[in-house]
Amino acid sequence: MNKTAKLGIISAAAVLFLILPHLFTMDYYLHIFVMSEIYAVLAMSLALIVGFSGQVSMGHAAFYGVGAYVSAILSTRLGMSFWVNFWISGLAAGLISYLTGRLVLRLRGHVLAITTAFFCVLVNVIMVNWIPVTNGPMGIVGIPRPTPINLFGLKIAFETRMHYYYLGLLFVVASAWFLYRITTSRLGDNLIGVRENEELAKSLGIDTMKNKVFAFTVGGAFAGLAGSFYAHYILFISPVTFTIGESINVLVMVIFGGMSTLLGPVFGAILLSILPEFLRMAGALRLIIYGVSLICFIIWLPQGVWGSLKNWWINKKNSDSAAG
Amino acid sequence: MMLTVFLQQTLNGIILGCIYALIALGLSLIFGILETANFAHGEFYMIGAFIGFFSTSLLGLPFFISILVAMAGMGLLGAVIERVVFRPIVGKPLINSMLLSFGLSTALANLALFLFKPDPRKIESGLSEFHFDVCGIFMTAERLSILVLCVVLVCLLSWFIQYTKTGKSMRAIAQDRTAAELAGINVRRIYSVTFAISGALAAAAGTMVGAMFYVQPDMGLAVTLKSFIIITLGGIGQIKGVIFAAILIGLVESLGGGFISYAYKDAYPFILMLLLFILKPEGLAGGGK
Repeated sequence: MNKTAKLGIISAAAVLFLILPHLFTMDYYLHIFVMSEIYAVLAMSLALIVGFSGQVSMGHAAFYGVGAYVSAILSTRLGMSFWVNFWISGLAAGLISYLTGRLVLRLRGHVLAITTAFFCVLVNVIMVNWIPVTNGPMGIVGIPRPTPINLFGLKIAFETRMHYYYLGLLFVVASAWFLYRITTSRLGDNLIGVRENEELAKSLGIDTMKNKVFAFTVGGAFAGLAGSFYAHYILFISPVTFTIGESINVLVMVIFGGMSTLLGPVFGAILLSILPEFLRMAGALRLIIYGVSLICFIIWLPQGVWGSLKNWWINKKNSDSAAG
Repeated sequence: MMLTVFLQQTLNGIILGCIYALIALGLSLIFGILETANFAHGEFYMIGAFIGFFSTSLLGLPFFISILVAMAGMGLLGAVIERVVFRPIVGKPLINSMLLSFGLSTALANLALFLFKPDPRKIESGLSEFHFDVCGIFMTAERLSILVLCVVLVCLLSWFIQYTKTGKSMRAIAQDRTAAELAGINVRRIYSVTFAISGALAAAAGTMVGAMFYVQPDMGLAVTLKSFIIITLGGIGQIKGVIFAAILIGLVESLGGGFISYAYKDAYPFILMLLLFILKPEGLAGGGK
């Protein structure tokens, strides 16, 4: 693919995403789009941890939840605005992520996965039981919408999902840009070095622990930002959203798309936010079908949809050039 | 008074720990031999409990026969699941087996929910009326027999792994799969046997818990996570370590639930694990390596 083709694809995608809410104007569709945006950020941030630095974390929903709760508590108790809470949530989730990372990242493989999974359980238990602060299983209601902003005379009040869609789009693009800059920098190379061979990376003088903690912190912070966005969009949060099941859901999105790219997880997030909607009519059978599809997917497409497509493309190109 | 409560909770913790040991040993076997993280292990335990429940309630079989029926049923199902679901991904990265088994866990738990509905059911062992007090410590015949049965099963397993030909093959594969294959061990057969044993142990534990507490479709996930903590603390493939860690977790849960706060019961094993990481970062047997 040459540069013009690439530019063409990018601008086509940009136009598509900009006009998308005008093509599907039903509230139901817009809701799915906004949720895909939130999941896209979650999946990208988890991809930095799992795909790039190779540390399997099953605790991502915990940081997502911390972000959502910090934002919800600040806005309902202190009446603070989304525009401030958003950044505080990211910082809080990043801080907790940093402290957790410092503790657990010396573990590897399944031990790390289990420890992070249990961290998620711990955070959930706290959300359910620390009633004076989190209001327990009842959750927090009445989270205000973002305060209206004035954009060059255009007043945006965030009363329709359309407004959230565009804010979300900005959020996804900004996160993608930030994470892309990290992964293409020297730091990104270091992270890949840690993933491929930690001992070797260490012997080359890379402080692997520092790099892993960095990826974990940044990933957690972005999850916190996504949590804040979620809280001010749904306007109600409760502990059931931030369970280990949600962590795994995001992990599946990352794997589904193909984990060592940033575009793959976004692709996975969009597909896995839309596809399960078709299963709604299956009712009680929905999660059974989900589980079975997950099994089939791991057995037949272990590299993710994106990775498998890429391989297929490369093989095709090779056989074409061999034939020609 | 305090002392009686303490002793009572200790006893409860030990019984709980023995049941955890049965579950965690099965998980540890699968992990050691197939290098596969089985997140559906708690569902094996749940299905075993349901088989036990139906064989007492529908077939009217006595409690101990029901445990055997559950073990046989789940053992068979375990071998089938290994063949159909897990075999295609043996040797693939850990994250694949984790997600695969999580899919299996979701499918099985929701299938059970769909078929059996969420209401808790209790297995009637017919032994809970007989009880005795020793210095104020309460013990039912049911719990005592469960304790004994756990010990018997763990001893049987240790003997099996230590002395039978199949057990030796299992240990050989855990040490070096290629070398074991070269030595003519039928690796695939051992994989099936491992899943069968692991399923049977989980089913026995499930039936026992079903008699002491309840049988529910969603009873699996918490147990899966706890078992993973146990094998992490005890060390993969270390039978003694796993038993020790299981009893430790049982005690921590029981005493913590009794003396600190019941609401945070599920958080204690994790806090214990964190504490150990902080205090003894390199000292856990097999942990982190």
